[in-house]
Order: sequence, then structure tokens, then C-alpha cells
Amino acid sequence: MQVGLLRPALALYAALFLLFLYGPMIVLAILSFQSQGGGPQFPIQEWSVYWYKHLLGLAETSRVSQLPVGDSLIRSLVLAFLTTVVSVTLGTMSAEAFRTRFKGSGPVFYLIILGMMVPGVLVGLGVALLSNFLDIGRAWWSTSFVLHVVYTFPFAFLVMLAIFNRFDRSVEEASLSLGVSPAQTFRRVTFPLIFPGVLSAMLFSFTLSYDEFSRTLFTAGADLTLPLAIYGTFSVEIYPNVFAFGVLTTLFSFTLLVIYGLLMKRFTRNKRFAGQEDA
Amino acid sequence: MLKLNGVTRRYGDIVALDGLDLIVPDDTYLSLLGASGSGKTTLLRLIAGYEEPNEGEVLLNGERLDGKPPHRRDIGFVFQNFALFPHLSVSDNVAFGLRYRESGAIESKAQIRERTEDALNLVGLDGFGHRGVGEISGGQRQRVALARTLVTEPRIVLLDEPLGALDANLRARMCDELRAIRERLKVSFLHVTGSETEALTMGDTVAVLADGKIAQVDDSSTLFSQPKNPAAARHLNAWNLLPGVVEGGALRTSVGLLPIVEQVADNTPVQLAVRFDEIGVCDPAQVPEAHDHFEATYVTGEFNGPTALSFFRTPDGELIQVVDHLSDSRLPDLKEGQAYALHFPPDAAVLFKGAA
Amino acid sequence: MTTVIEDFPDEPAVSPAATREAKDRRRAFLLLTPGVLWMVLFMLMPLVMVIYVSFWTQSTFAVEPTLTTASWERFLSSPTYLTAIGTTLKTWIIVLLATIVVGYPVALFIGLFVKNRTLQTALLVACVIPFWTSFLIRVIAWRPMLGTEGAINIILLKLGIVSEPLSFLLFSEFSVYVGMTQIYCVFMVGPITFMIARIDDSIIEAARDLGASFGTIFRRIVLPLSLPGVIVGTIFVSVMVLGEFATAASLSGRKVNLLGNIIVSQVGSLKWAFAAVAGVVLTVIITAVITLALRVVDIRKEM
Repeated sequence: MQVGLLRPALALYAALFLLFLYGPMIVLAILSFQSQGGGPQFPIQEWSVYWYKHLLGLAETSRVSQLPVGDSLIRSLVLAFLTTVVSVTLGTMSAEAFRTRFKGSGPVFYLIILGMMVPGVLVGLGVALLSNFLDIGRAWWSTSFVLHVVYTFPFAFLVMLAIFNRFDRSVEEASLSLGVSPAQTFRRVTFPLIFPGVLSAMLFSFTLSYDEFSRTLFTAGADLTLPLAIYGTFSVEIYPNVFAFGVLTTLFSFTLLVIYGLLMKRFTRNKRFAGQEDA
Repeated sequence: MLKLNGVTRRYGDIVALDGLDLIVPDDTYLSLLGASGSGKTTLLRLIAGYEEPNEGEVLLNGERLDGKPPHRRDIGFVFQNFALFPHLSVSDNVAFGLRYRESGAIESKAQIRERTEDALNLVGLDGFGHRGVGEISGGQRQRVALARTLVTEPRIVLLDEPLGALDANLRARMCDELRAIRERLKVSFLHVTGSETEALTMGDTVAVLADGKIAQVDDSSTLFSQPKNPAAARHLNAWNLLPGVVEGGALRTSVGLLPIVEQVADNTPVQLAVRFDEIGVCDPAQVPEAHDHFEATYVTGEFNGPTALSFFRTPDGELIQVVDHLSDSRLPDLKEGQAYALHFPPDAAVLFKGAA
Repeated sequence: MTTVIEDFPDEPAVSPAATREAKDRRRAFLLLTPGVLWMVLFMLMPLVMVIYVSFWTQSTFAVEPTLTTASWERFLSSPTYLTAIGTTLKTWIIVLLATIVVGYPVALFIGLFVKNRTLQTALLVACVIPFWTSFLIRVIAWRPMLGTEGAINIILLKLGIVSEPLSFLLFSEFSVYVGMTQIYCVFMVGPITFMIARIDDSIIEAARDLGASFGTIFRRIVLPLSLPGVIVGTIFVSVMVLGEFATAASLSGRKVNLLGNIIVSQVGSLKWAFAAVAGVVLTVIITAVITLALRVVDIRKEM
């Protein structure tokens, strides 16, 4: 095949691929504006925001029961926050340890990475069995929480590892040579310089935990997190209120992404990171 | 006074420093010359405490340094890549040590500002304090690095190839400034470099590091004219070395028998050293009287501005270099591939005992 | 004490280098301990527990820690469970191949044909953005796409390509494959693009100057150099597809039962021992797949 023809062909293919990726979400977004009488499919009988009202509990009672988003949303946010704090701390500590060559670094590396590899349903089952065995009650803030960290800690670890790989060690040594203690050096030099990485690791951990459900399924006990509430609707008939929820939660994630982008931009511009690159 | 006693540093089976002894006197500019990979950076890192020796001791004014964490050693370090804090402005970089050091941190903002300004003044950067370190040139970064170190008044300053990242013009200017700054502060500088010209220009004293040991310590001119051993001579990049064996009062080398002045027992392996600029070149039939000589073929020449370097090859492949000064030319017109007599006055030759 | 010291006057003191090394090691050890402990307690222990419980005795609504192989025997002699293994493997192979086939050309385009860095990043970000939508919502989004009254059928009917709605689109194996391919494709596109974009342009230029056709350049340079990306992508996709159950639960109309679905339904009816057996089988399969892939590429080097 001629290269001349290949290029536009691949471009077209990539465009179709993006359509494949985005198509379902677009359709879902359109259908979330279905009217009260319409079903979860085309055609749109009448454009309305009825299902958004329904979702937020503002609509008059209907035969469709309201999605249990209120409490579960708060649980999910708290859980994601706790998970983020713990996994980014663990990730940073472990990545820092990996800057020293030590025996057994290979197995430890794979042990940590295993956390993101092992299927959620499997560790979920394991933790459920273990808590039964030890007679510990299951709850989103205990059994689910530890599993969320098992899942997000490896991501935070990899992000921080990549950051430390590019990190110029001599700035820390320079700080030490000025008589500044290792702890102060970390606080005044290392941490500010790895902060963009910490921010990325936080974003990863938060999003993954907020959306995680296969690990939560067997471990959350009686109180549901947000994804579990959605999963509950899988078995019953679907109404456009799920679609409305999908649009809102996607907007929420994008808001997080935008906040991250703004923080990142502000931080990197203010601190003039260019210096380290070409020094 | 900084003193290193039998310092050894090994990385696995590789010996970087092998029982090294060195003294850096107070109020001295000492440059340390070593080839790349000779362990000169390792030496500095051992003194600064980023690494520790396997054997030996490091003493500063009689106090043991080895075993102490780096931030309690009170030793300044200027890095080849400057290692400025990229997230801080120039003045915050300089003030860093004053603000955050473990012992003797300064609380008063006015005092910090004053000392920071003095330090920037010293390195000729007054008015640059508010800039980001990404916004200044390489030479200016070098000065910031220096000011940042000097403002904490270290007991000795280690400079790791500090001019390596600068271009040639800037390097010459920084050479002068470094010396001037040091003389004002009366603190010792230990400056390592791989360039023999830099080492000879900068140092009151020059030490040559070879094979993990100090080969020689002397002032620049003594070192240049009287290297004490082949290693020192080789590092100066100004001496031809001819290996040979003593035979009946003369030296048997690959280029033939050369007379020697000293009395050396037969069968002693020695090396004869002759400086590039002491060798004359002429037709084999016209060797000046009383000059020793040997024959070699002209290979090629290299023009370096005020000097010209000519390369000759002896029959068994040894490369000989001859320097000619343009203002005082000694060499005839040379034809490539032609054999010439290379001659030198007998007292210009230096004899080193021991095999090559 | 003094005499003891004098007995060994030549005994070398511990060198500062050894002390420093020991200190650095101790520091690394302390930094690693919490993370390693967490993983051992909350990941390895539960996995061991799964294996342990798979040998417990299952009664109607409870498990007893009396060791038996009964659950294993029942599992391995039950056509339902054996079929689930087959379905899991089949789904894995199909989805894996689909993500490679669908994803590779996209990665090739972004990595090799888009020279503008900004555009390259923008395209990659465009591929990643859907990842920011809830996973479950992305699964559900296929229902109004593929249903008999879904978007695709409407379009096909309008265009006159079909005369009546295609019913195999939703609640079938097909919908599960399509859904999984869409969701996991990004994990294939990313690593491959990364590897292709890393190829030095001058190598390709040189090959072109020497008269190599695009086919040759692709076969001899691009393909081999992108292979580690394919392997890394394969590991990601395999691990996720093999542990799947939500997509099948939502889009197959109970026609596709993966090992994950078996675990979920067994836990639902409190058959912990059977769930554990399915879990062990799943672990064995995933371990085999990852081991195989790691034979081909060292993931730590590619990171």
C-alpha cells in the first residue's frame, strides 16, 4: 500500500475509533433528556429535564423509585478521600525507598504491582472470607477501604517512581551541604519538586476509588457506595434516571480533572520548573 | 586543614580510591587533576559525606568527618550542573541555607536579606535576586550556586568540575573570578577538573589523581616542569614517555639506545620523559652536537593558534608529540611520511624508574 | 571487656561505608514496611484465604472449616462450571484479539503518523477521557445503543440496510464482546502508542533513504519495536477481562456466565466454598497468562 493513501485511511479509522469510544456516552447523554413518559430508548418523545429532577428528588412521586444517590455519594467521596491520602502516602514512601538499591527490590516491586493486577472480585472474595473467618464485620470504611488502597497504592507508587526517576538527586545533596537536615530537605526541596507527581497520584487514586465497585461488592456490608447503588439497577429495568446520573457523575469527574489541570498549571508556572530541565 | 588518610572506596570489585592521602592546607586554592573515571568526583563525595570510605579517615582541623551525616560537616559543595533549587528565586536559593540549616539558622529576615545581598554582591549578581533560576544564563547560575554555598561560610568549598558546563569564554572569566572570590574569603577551595590547563591556571597547588592515589602534589610550575612519576607526567598532557631498560649506562628503548646521565643499575625498567616543547626536529644527518636523538616518521600536524602540535610515530608505533611556538618557530617544513631526527638536550630528559 | 578488645587488635572497625550502607538499607526497609505489610495483610492473606476456604465443607447456607475436596469435585464434574471456564477463556481470547485489531491501527496513526506533539497528546487524551466516566455507566450506555429500539438499529432501519431490527446486538455474546472491547481498548492503544512514538524518526528516515517500502519498514522496524507495547497492553487487558463480571451481567442477559459471574452468584447464595473454588481456578488462569506474558517482556524495564 502507498504511504500516501495509508495516512488518510488511518486518520479516518482513528476518527471512527473515537466515535466508537464516545458514541454510547453521547447517546446516553441525549436520552437523559427523555420526557417522563418516554422509555430508555429512541425516539425522544419530548425534551425535558424530568429525569434530572427525579434523580435529585425534586419530581413528584412516580412509579420509578429514586436512585439511592444521596448517602452513597457521601460514602463514596469519603472513601475516595481516605483512599487517596493513604495510597499516596504509601506510594511516595515506597517509591522513595526504591531510590536506594536493595536486595529483593524485584519481588517487592511485583508484590505492589500485583495490587492493580489481581481481579477485584477475587480479592473482594478473599477479604470477605477473611472477615467472616476472623468474625470482623464488613463495612465500606473498613474492609472496602483497605481493598481500595490495595488497588490504588500501586498506581500512586508507579506515578511517584516515574517522578523520582527523573528527579535530580544533586539538589537534595546541595541542600544537605548547606547544613539543612534530611527532614527539612524533604520538606523544602524534595516535596515541592515532586508535588506535581503527588497531585497526579492523588487524581488517579481518587478517581479509581470513587469508581471502584468489584472490590467493594463483597466487602461493603450493608451500606452501599455509589457504584454499588448503580450496580443494583443492573438487574432491574433501566430508566433514563440512570442516564441522567451518568451525565452528572461524568461532569463531576471532569470537574475534578479541570481542578487538577488548573492546580498543575498554576503550580508549574509559578515555580518555574524550566530551571531543573536545562540546568 | 583538610586531611585524608589512606582513604579507600570500593564499588564491588572496582577500586575507585586506593589508600589515598591528601592534605588541603588552609587558605589555599588546590586543584585536583584527574582523568574521567579516575575517582575525583568520588573523592569529593566522600569529603562531603554523600558517600563514605571503606577504609581510611577524613579529618578537618583534626576532627573526624567520616561517619558524620553530610549536613553536619559544614562543607560547601558546588555541583557541575549547579543543582539550583528550581522552585525558588535566586535570592531564595542563596538564603536557603541561612533559613533552614539545622544549627545556626538565622531568624531575622533583615539579617537574611542583608547576607543574601552581600553574597550576591560578592559574585557580581546584585539586582538579580528576584529572578527565577530558569531565567538566568549558565554563568549566572554558576554564580548563584557559588553564592548559595559561600553565604553559609563553610569550612572548605568543594567544586566538582564547576566550569564544565560553561562555554570557553565564560570559563576563562570565571577562572579569574573564582580565584579572586576565594582570596577575599580566605577559605580553601578544592576544585576537581579533568582539564590540565584549568588545573594549572586555577590552583596555587595542583594534585594529580591517578589509579586511586595522589600521584603528585606541587605548585603549578614545579609540577609542569618536574613531574615526579609517569602518572603525573601523563596527566599534564605535555610529556612524551618512552619505556625502556637500562643497559650498560644507557637506555635501550624501542627507538634505539639513548644515553642517560644518572647512574642506574642494569636491567632496571625505566621510562624516559621529554616535554613536547623540548624536542627539536631536523634531518637525521644534522643532529645538533651534544643532543640526544632518535628517529621517527612525521604523521600529521595540528594547528592550535599560538602553538602548533606535530605528531610523529616511532618505528614500533609509539606516538611522539612536539610543540612549536609560532612566535619562536624551531621546526623545519615537515613532509608527511618522511623520517626525521627528534633531538633534545640531555638535561631536558627526566628518568622515571619502574615499568610502564 | 578491655581484654577482649585487646585480644583482637587487628580486628577492623566497621567501616563508615558499611555503616552508611546499613543505614540506607534500614531507611529503605522502614519506608517500605507499611506498604508491604498492607499488601501482605490485605491482598496476599485474602488470596490465601480463598485457597483455604476452597477446601472447606459447604452446607446449604454455611461453610465449615472441615477440610474436604468435595467442592472441587463438584466444581470439576459440573458442566455448568466447566462451561464457565470455557466461556471465560473464549471471551478473553476474542476480546484480547479485538482490542489488538481495533487498537493497533489507532496507535500506529497516533504514534507514527501524527508528528505534531500537541496533536499527539490531544488524541491520546481523547482516548483516555472516557475512562473518566464511571465504568458501570459506560457499560449501561451500550444498552440504548444496541437494543432492538437502540440507536444502531434505528440508523440501520432508516438507511434501509435491514428491514427489521437486529436482535442479536443486545443481550448476547456479541454485546459483551463489543462492550468489553470499547472499555478496554484504551489499555491496548496507550502502551502501543507509547512504544511506537519512542521509535527514533531517523531510523525510519534512514530506512526510507535506503529504499525500503512502507511495508518493509513496518515489518522490520515498527512492528518489532512496538511488540513490548502489545505485550504490556495484553497484560492489562487480560487481567481485566479475565476478572470481569459486570459487563456480562449487564449486557448478556444472563447468556454469558464468566468465572466472575459464578463467584458473584455463589456468594449471593452464600456458597462460599464454591465461590472460592472458582476464585482459585481464576487465579490459576490469570497467573498462567501473566507469567507467559512476562516471559516475553520485562514490565519493570518498560515502565
